[in-house]
Amino acid sequence: MKKIFYPLFALLALIPLGLISENPAWAEWDTAYYQEVLGFVPKGINEAFNMKALMPDYNMSGINEVVAYYLSAFLGIALIFVFFYIIMIGKKVVK
Amino acid sequence: MHIPDGYLSPLTCIATYAIALPLWLIAFKKLKEQLDETTLPLIASLSALSFIIMMFNIPIPGGTSGHAVGASLIAILFGPWVAALCVSLVLLIQALVFADGGVTTFGANALLMAFTSSFVSYYLYTFLKNKAFAPFISGWAGIVSSSIVLALILGIQPIIASVDGQPLYFPFDFALTFPAVVGSHILFFGLVEGIFTHLSYRYIVKNKIIKESVL
Repeated sequence: MKKIFYPLFALLALIPLGLISENPAWAEWDTAYYQEVLGFVPKGINEAFNMKALMPDYNMSGINEVVAYYLSAFLGIALIFVFFYIIMIGKKVVK
Repeated sequence: MHIPDGYLSPLTCIATYAIALPLWLIAFKKLKEQLDETTLPLIASLSALSFIIMMFNIPIPGGTSGHAVGASLIAILFGPWVAALCVSLVLLIQALVFADGGVTTFGANALLMAFTSSFVSYYLYTFLKNKAFAPFISGWAGIVSSSIVLALILGIQPIIASVDGQPLYFPFDFALTFPAVVGSHILFFGLVEGIFTHLSYRYIVKNKIIKESVL
């Protein structure tokens, strides 16, 4: 069972590779892109619901980009494991 | 593949949430049934793999980038419902903590990335079961099917939400959206998802981390 963690650790170590691409994903552009391509920014996109996220774009001001990317990965994985453990505990309590 | 806030009309957001909600409830029930001391580390690790694999942005010709999703691997190991819930969880964390994918569009993102690819991969896999390349093909087809749903949801926006010919939300029509979104997944990200699914599946079975697929 422990062996499932090896590829996870390996990918985790390699994660800065994910930062190499400067290209945004298709249809995940910022508003400047629309201004340039269409000559205007669609109203809905300009006035989009904007939530204050803890680490927007896997980044944190004042922290090195690569370090922030690692922190993001750790945080994400931690939250995932916490979620499943909570369900597990909930299941036992109900029993 | 993560639709940001502001790209979909309110009607689309509400409709996708309305469709996703009952599916999440069923998926949550299925997950609870399957979750125990033995499966938890594996299901959580596979969800973590999905989260991590999505952080590997791969640049492609044409100035854009994309990534694998990892839904197919969970789907062929634990079934489509568990896979869809795991990937929905990943998408929720991405939306709330990292602003990757919108909050109002979370329903749509879950439908396309979590549910569509999980179910397509799962059923294709059960159909191809004994073929050597079943995991690869399931992974490829899973993410390609997601991209088709994405193109449909995006491409319909200028049709249903324009004022005086000016789109209010996502502005590009099917003719532009389809080739860009589906084409890039057929040629590039589908292969990445296929290879990821195949190698991970072989690794998991070879090391007896899980007895042959539970399917």
